[in-house]
Amino acid sequence: MLRRLAIPAFALCCLAALAAFFIPAVIIQPFKHQAPDRLLLAMQVKEYAPAVSLVAAGLALLMLLLLWRRSQLWVRALLACGLLVSVASATMTRLNYFEWMFHPVTAGGFEAAGASKLAGSEMVMAVHIGADARAYPIVQMAYHHAFNDTVGGVPIVVTY
Amino acid sequence: MWKRTAGGREFHFYLAGINNQNFLMRDRETGSWWQQVTGEAIFGPLKGTRLEPVAMDELTFSLWKQEAPAGLVMQPVAKYDKKYESDWEKSVAKMPTPLDFSREGFPNREIILGVELDGTARAYPQSTVWSAWPVQDRVGGAAIVLVTGPDGKSVRVFRAEVNAAAAEFFKKGEGWALMDSSTGSEWNFQGCATSGPAMGQCLPRVPYLKDYWFDWKNYHPATSVYQH
Repeated sequence: MLRRLAIPAFALCCLAALAAFFIPAVIIQPFKHQAPDRLLLAMQVKEYAPAVSLVAAGLALLMLLLLWRRSQLWVRALLACGLLVSVASATMTRLNYFEWMFHPVTAGGFEAAGASKLAGSEMVMAVHIGADARAYPIVQMAYHHAFNDTVGGVPIVVTY
Repeated sequence: MWKRTAGGREFHFYLAGINNQNFLMRDRETGSWWQQVTGEAIFGPLKGTRLEPVAMDELTFSLWKQEAPAGLVMQPVAKYDKKYESDWEKSVAKMPTPLDFSREGFPNREIILGVELDGTARAYPQSTVWSAWPVQDRVGGAAIVLVTGPDGKSVRVFRAEVNAAAAEFFKKGEGWALMDSSTGSEWNFQGCATSGPAMGQCLPRVPYLKDYWFDWKNYHPATSVYQH
């Protein structure tokens, strides 16, 4: 009886863990169109994904332990695969894979205008706040996209 | 570019996703999701909050250096130095767009300069502003002028008002020189009169956004377009 329940429960847990990672990942693909309702779903799922996938992977492990001893080799192989993808999914929900693609810069260095090797024809985003003037080369910002900075005492986020 | 503060709190943003090729950021403090192009929180505890824009310029490095010789430049991050591509715009130009507004003004990846004044949005193709400046126009009841700098690439937008009246601007001679027809004064690229009766006056700056047409149109559905 327990066994008959444990198998579908195990499958359900694996599916829940996978969904927590894949629903937002599939919706928020960089070169795809995002419809407003699907984007909302992606953000909602991301809200709960770390908790849901952790619980799901934990329960999947429990089911696996219940089933393991009396299972044939091929069932064990399936169980192991299921647990593996659940754990992988739970791990992925905790990582910001966008930052792997778009490489944020957390601690940017600055140099004097005269010391920079940047070509004169390159575009920069320039800000002037109080006594501070700063230039963010677009060739760099088009790669990093976002940078938290403070200029003239004002906290700003440079985006491109 | 935005101030990292709202309601007296400071935020630290990181990239969190993409909405039709426009970035979504989240703040580490509340986890709210913010749209890069609008500075508005679209999801999470701060939904509806808007960040305040930071006045900025897009200039060539050579022009900026002349204007701000004591300024500081962000250094390349050594780890990624080889990955920066100076011709990144060419590769992006070939990418498909997630939305199609090509029948409503310009090709989707046309680079436009978007101006928004008193709730009225208008898009100017960068190529037109480069080739036919000064571009004189009215947006939301205000007279404006778009000017390309001596480097042929940097653009600034000003209110075209001299002595509290709308003024016409024109390019003079072969080199870079900007005059207004009402006072005959000469103006520099900072928007300040350098000779003539208006000397010492500076034109108020109008912020603009350099953007792809499809992205501008997506966030400004009612935008009009400037056709030369």
